[in-house]
Formats: sequence, structure tokens, C-alpha cells
Amino acid sequence: MNSMSELPIRILLAKIGLDGHDRGVKVLARSFRDAGFDVIYTGLWQTAQSSMLAALQEDIDVVGVSLLSAAHLTVMPEVLRWRKELGIEDVPVVLGGIVPEDEHQQLLDMGCAAVFNPGSPVTEIIATMKRLAEQRRRMSAAEAIRGYDDHQDTALAQLLTHIARGQLDGTWTPPAGKARIIGVTGAPGVGKSSFIGRLGKGLCARGHRVAVVAVDPSSPVHGGALLGDRLRMMWGEPEENFFIRSLSSGKVYGGLGPRCAEIVQAFSGYGFDYVLVESVGAGQSDTAIHDIVERTLLLLMPESGDAIQFSKAGIMEIADAFVINKCDLAGADATVGQLKSALEGDRPVFRASTVLNEGIDAVVDWITQ
Amino acid sequence: MATRPVEDNARRSAAAPFVGPQDVAGKNWAGEVPPPGEYPYTRGIHREMYRKRIWTMRQFAGFGSADQTNQRFKYLLEHGQTGLSTAFDLPTLMGRDSDDPLALGEVGRCGVAISSLDDMRRLFDGIALDQVSTSMTINAPAAILLAFYIAVAQERGIGADQLRGTLQNDILKEFHAQNEYVFPPRPSVKLVIDTIEYGAQHMPLWNTVSISGYHIREAGASAVEEMAFTLADGMCYTEESLARGLDVDEFAKRLSFFFDVHNDFFEEIAKFRAARRIWARTMRHKYQAQHERSWWLRCHAQTAGVTLTEQQPLNNVVRVAYQAMAAVLGGTQSLHTNSMDETLALPTEQAVKVALRTQQILAHETNVTQVADPLGGSWFIEKLTDEVEREADAIFREIDALGGVIPAIEQGYFRRRIAETAMRQNNAFDNGEAVVVGVNKFVDDDYVRVPILKIDPAVEKQQVARLAQMKKDRDVKRHGAALAALDRAARDGENLMPHLIAGAQAGATVGEMMNTMANVFGRYDGGPEW
Repeated sequence: MNSMSELPIRILLAKIGLDGHDRGVKVLARSFRDAGFDVIYTGLWQTAQSSMLAALQEDIDVVGVSLLSAAHLTVMPEVLRWRKELGIEDVPVVLGGIVPEDEHQQLLDMGCAAVFNPGSPVTEIIATMKRLAEQRRRMSAAEAIRGYDDHQDTALAQLLTHIARGQLDGTWTPPAGKARIIGVTGAPGVGKSSFIGRLGKGLCARGHRVAVVAVDPSSPVHGGALLGDRLRMMWGEPEENFFIRSLSSGKVYGGLGPRCAEIVQAFSGYGFDYVLVESVGAGQSDTAIHDIVERTLLLLMPESGDAIQFSKAGIMEIADAFVINKCDLAGADATVGQLKSALEGDRPVFRASTVLNEGIDAVVDWITQ
Repeated sequence: MATRPVEDNARRSAAAPFVGPQDVAGKNWAGEVPPPGEYPYTRGIHREMYRKRIWTMRQFAGFGSADQTNQRFKYLLEHGQTGLSTAFDLPTLMGRDSDDPLALGEVGRCGVAISSLDDMRRLFDGIALDQVSTSMTINAPAAILLAFYIAVAQERGIGADQLRGTLQNDILKEFHAQNEYVFPPRPSVKLVIDTIEYGAQHMPLWNTVSISGYHIREAGASAVEEMAFTLADGMCYTEESLARGLDVDEFAKRLSFFFDVHNDFFEEIAKFRAARRIWARTMRHKYQAQHERSWWLRCHAQTAGVTLTEQQPLNNVVRVAYQAMAAVLGGTQSLHTNSMDETLALPTEQAVKVALRTQQILAHETNVTQVADPLGGSWFIEKLTDEVEREADAIFREIDALGGVIPAIEQGYFRRRIAETAMRQNNAFDNGEAVVVGVNKFVDDDYVRVPILKIDPAVEKQQVARLAQMKKDRDVKRHGAALAALDRAARDGENLMPHLIAGAQAGATVGEMMNTMANVFGRYDGGPEW
């Protein structure tokens, strides 16, 4: 993964339906990361549609579906139907779960690339994923650019991969777009991703097209990454005009990944109205986000720091507005009070709760005004 | 997917090859391991143990429609089972009706589908609710299912005070491991305390919470983590009940526990012994319980589903037998033995029967029932019990340092720890350090086919149709009023049990009552760790 033109294989792990058995999928996610893959996990309670939409948007090389609910003969045809519907039949889908021996062939015949049972060694699964990823036929940069110009989402998704790999450095510039670029930052655990999910859906509800660039850290040891932001964002019903792209930070410091700015511009040129940029859980020195966005929202949570922390330089200074998230927790009023008294000027301070879906509209108002 | 359970043997294999009196020198025998039936109950909660009363043989059952499960219940009762245990399907477990879009393909598949009072009536048709003890394995919507059960009993002239059984109702372990939560942790626990309070006032024979380590263990935790997380959850419910204003002796004796039994024979036995001792001391000294029954850790045990293999499935009968023996030597009050075919599908009747026979052989042929805690006083078992207790204490301190169980959930502590242990176990399996017979050692190509139970997809269609009919037939006004009252009570922070019973009687479904509460409590997305 050291070569500039090579980025990790991108794997989507999907849990579809109500089944909450996630021991296997979690072990696999970590094993895949350690094998150098970028892993995007959908989280629980997804549908066939939301999973395949994620595969499209994330330009996934192989999809792994985990089903321990015995519903595979109902769910897998749906998955494959959505794969076709969304035009990503080049993406292989493998299934892991409790599948009776006599149903393996049936699943392979309908189009699953492989079926794994409990007890399949992880090394064997990794080898299969690598082989399938290598066999996948990707669009060339030229094909992707043509498709992008024709407004094909599949081409946009693959073009973003070419950009991230540096294959278009200096050779292609996206058309000028009109998107407004909003940064969302804050310390780990304040709920940035869930908030962006609500915010994005709020904007979509008002008829806007919204893209998200979500950055998670890469493992310094193996080069792979667990990209977990999407899991919080795509929670609930899938939304057609909400395009989420997860990036691993690679070795770039400052809270953003490589070529984040170029990816934002590509979204803008494609016709999105808003691009939301989530940075790696930020500390006070991670201010890179400020350079590529028009406005920055800083998320805090109740009792997340005393007034002295607020007045420190760095990330507090670059914020254009503040959101006290998790206002359903105790201490919200005190935190709002502390923050207001520490701030100079009249930057807005919003209160929100993503759990209760409250306070989001006011932020949408501020962004769209 | 390699989800094989493999024990973390490093500690044991690094230790000396045998244990002697020097390893337990200085032990306070009279204080720590008095005779069975004496505080702190290391050796068991009863002096006579199984000689006086054999453990309850309780096989979990449920699949398809309410009518089919009702038939299975009757079959099990006819074959000598002494308690009923209900498995619900995933939609019901998640508080969704059979006609919910996310229920597609899962109705009646891994348990019985119960969406309304009408389904509950048919599930217990012809079964005397004042005669059986019923266990219901359900959590997020547990209060609603309890309300259904109470309402069915009332229709037959049986009061809530005559009902015997156990509601799993342990939402905390859902956040740690099993993922069947709906509301955020705080309102979820509030609802559990509502049932504890209701039970303390109206249901003296009912176990309101079965504080469960089983799912924590199956998700990948070690034996010590399983036990420590479970007892920490029990302490959390106790503290929240005290904060509600309940007297500890009013509710503590109705708390029960549910543990997994894995392959590491002696460690499992030590786990039960250490758990009883910790719980008794905590209830007596920390929470000042006065009654002896409040100090007792009563538990149900189940053999470890995750240890069973798809390969050479008959081997599973042997695994289950050893695990069942460990549970009995550990002093459990009731036991479920897994069926050999459950890695393949839901168990067939024949496999369920073999599992039940495994317990009956243990109870009636081996004579292990004749003396309580036969391993008590073994240098090894006593040393191991002490070690397990010490390691659990270290975990309690970590949880305390995070601010308690709920803050630790909100910080992802439990999920992170369980996932890391699961990963370690998986690595040990992959590199062959941990042997699973028939899977990574002694492998053969003989694929023994066992018959598999398949659920007819027609069950889903019939269930959805029946639900639609019920919704058409119910009294719209009464139904709307019941949901409005539930909404108001949730906003006002009232005990919701009476409103859920009224809702059940008014034809409100599981999904409708869950949605009403979710509008007030919010829906939880799982917290920071995955």
C-alpha cells in the first residue's frame, strides 16, 4: 500500500434485516483491516437496497453479506436484484452465515460469488476476497470521466477512486460547481457522523442534493482501515439524493485524507448542492478542514469541556457555528451557557439531539440561509 | 466465518501441572466456603441441592406461528419437560410487527411471531397458566409481552399474582452484545425498572429480569468477562431500582441470572461458584439486603451454542453433555441443553429429544445429584474460584472508573472488550492453538447429514393476513385512546406497565406500542463502538 497509485481494496460488510448476530462480521472487519483492506461496515438493520446503494457510492470491490437469520433465500435474491437495478453487476457479492449444505449451489447459481459458513478459516476468506477484487473489471479513468459527464453515479463513484489514487493529478479538473461546502468537526465520540446523517437527510427533505466526504484514520501498522462513519449516517431509510463517500486518512495529517479537496470539487462539479465534510475526530490542532470549506460547524457535547477549554486557540477559532449535540443528556444548559460566555462575536450556538431527531432543522435553516 | 469459540488457555497452561494445599494456603475456609446453603453460597444456595429438587429442564422452543409453537409446547410437556421457554422471532424481538417492511423473510423463522394479544392467546391455548412456569426470552419489548401474558391470564380468570415464570427483560446485555435494543440506554433501563416495580407489587412468583451473560459470552467474551459484565448489570438494575424508591428486599429475590456453559470444564464450574459468592456479598453489604433470599444468585444455564460445529454434528451431543455436567456441578437451578443440529437450522423434534434425554441421563443415571458441590474443597477448584473472583473484581473497578455501567456503554467499553476477545479467540483457532475437533483437527470428509427443519414461507403470509384482519376488527376508538394514554404516561415518566396492559386489551400491537414509546424515548444507533 505504499505506492502512490495504489489504494487498499475496498470491502463492504453488510448486515441485512433484523438479525443482530455480529460476532463474525466484527471479527472479519478487524481481520480485513489487518490484511490491509479498507472496510466499510453498514451496521445493523440494513435493507438489500441500502446495502447495494452503499456498494455503489463507496466504489466497493467486493460485498460481504452476513446473514445468521436463515433468511438468505429471501434476502439474497433481493440483494442481487438491487445490484442489477443500480448498475453495479461488476461488484461480486459473497455470503457468510448458517447456510445448509444443500442450499450452497442454489445461492451460487443465483449469482453469489462465494458462500462461507461458520468455521471457514479467515485466511481462506481473505484470499477469496483478494481474488475477487482483482478480477473485478474497473472503469478506466477516461471511461469514468465520460460517465461522470453523463451523470452516471457509478462513474462518479469510480472517478472518486481514481482521484484518491492520484491517477488524475494535474490531468483533469472537474467543471465548476455551485455546491456549498460545509465542514463538520469535533472530538471523537461527540456524534459527528450521526449528526451529518440527520443533517444530510434534513437538506434532502428540502429538495437539495447532498454529498458527504467522511474521513476515518488508517491503521499505521497494516495500512487498512475500518471506515465506520457511514454506519451512523445511513441509519434509517436510504435516501437517493444523499451520496456518502468514506475515505481513509492514509498518512496525511491534519484531520483529512489525501486529495480530500479534489474529491469535494468533483462532487461540486457533478451537481450536488451541498458537500458536507467530516474530518477525523479532531483535536485542537486539526484545522486542515478550514482550508477547503466555506463554513465549519464544531460539534460539542454536554460536559465535554469547561469554559477554559473553549477559549483555547485552534479549532475553536475556525468554527463558524457550534452545535451542542446529545442535548438529551444532562448538563446541556450549562455547556451552552459556558460556551456563549466564552465566545467573542455572535457565532450561533445550536442545540441538537440526533437520538431524538431534534434541533436539526435550525441548523439546516442556518446552512441554507 | 470463523466464529468458533476457543477458550483462552494461556493462563491455565502457564500454571503448574497440578495444584496442592500450598496454593490455597491462608484461605479462610469457614468464611468463604462454608457448607452448601450458607452465606456466601460459594457451594450452592441449597444445602440439599438436587437431592431435594432436581434442576428445571427447560428447553427453549418457538418457531413459525403461534399454533405451531403451541403444539411444540404440548409435545415437550408430554415428554417430561417441567417448564416452558419461549423463543420469539426476530421481528418480535425487535419490537416490530409481522407486517413491518424490515420483517421480510424473518417472520416465524427463528422463533414464534407474536404481534398482538390474539397471537398470545393462541400460543398458550390449552395450557394452564396457573400450573406451568413460563420463560419468555425477549428484551426491548419485554414489558409489552409481559403485558400480553398478564392480559391472557386475566381473560381466563387467573391473576398476575398466580403467574410463575421468567421474563428475560435484560436490556443492558443487548447494548453489550446481542444488539436487540431499540431505545437509548437510559429510557431502556427505566422501562426495565417499571417491570421490576410492577413485579414487586403484583407478581410475587415472577422473575422480572433474567440478567444474562449468555449472549455476552456467545458474542466472544471470556468466562470472567461474561460473569463480571453480568453481575455489573445486576448491580446497575439494583441501583436504579433503589433510586426508584423500592426496598431492596422487595425486588432482589425476583432477580435471576442466566449463564453460558462452555467447554473449559473446571473454569465454568469456578465461574458459577465465584458468581454466587460475589453476588451474595454485594447484596448483603453494598445494598444492605436483609433477607437471605435476596443474597441468593439463582440461575439458569444453557450449553454454548457457539461451541457446536456444523462439521460432524453428532459430536455436538458429546460437547453438550460435558457442558451440562459442568452446569450441574456448578449448581445451576435450571438448564437448557442445545440440540446437535442448531448450527444448521432450527432443531428438529428428534434433536430436541436427544438434548432433553442428555439432561435426564445426567439427572437419573450418573448419581451426580446425590451430593451438593462435590468438587468443593478441591485445591484446584478453590484456587480457580478465587482467581475468577479476583479477575472479576478488576473488571468491576474498570467499570466504576468509567462512571458505571450506563456511561461505560455510552463509551463503547463492553463492545470493544468483547470484540477484542473474540478476535483473539479467532486467531487462536486460525493458527491451530485452539483445537476444535472435526474443524481444525481430526477433520474428515464424512458429511453426516442430519434432517433439517425448514419453515414454510406460508407462515409469514398467514401471519400477516391474520394481523391485517385483527387490525380491521378492533375498536378504533379504544385503540387510539390506549396509545394516547401510553404516550402521555411515557412523557410524564409514569410506570408504563398498566398502560401496556390496557393497550394489549385494546388490540394495540407490539410495533404500535414500541413506536409510541420511541417517539418519546428516541431510537438508539448503537453508540460509539462497533
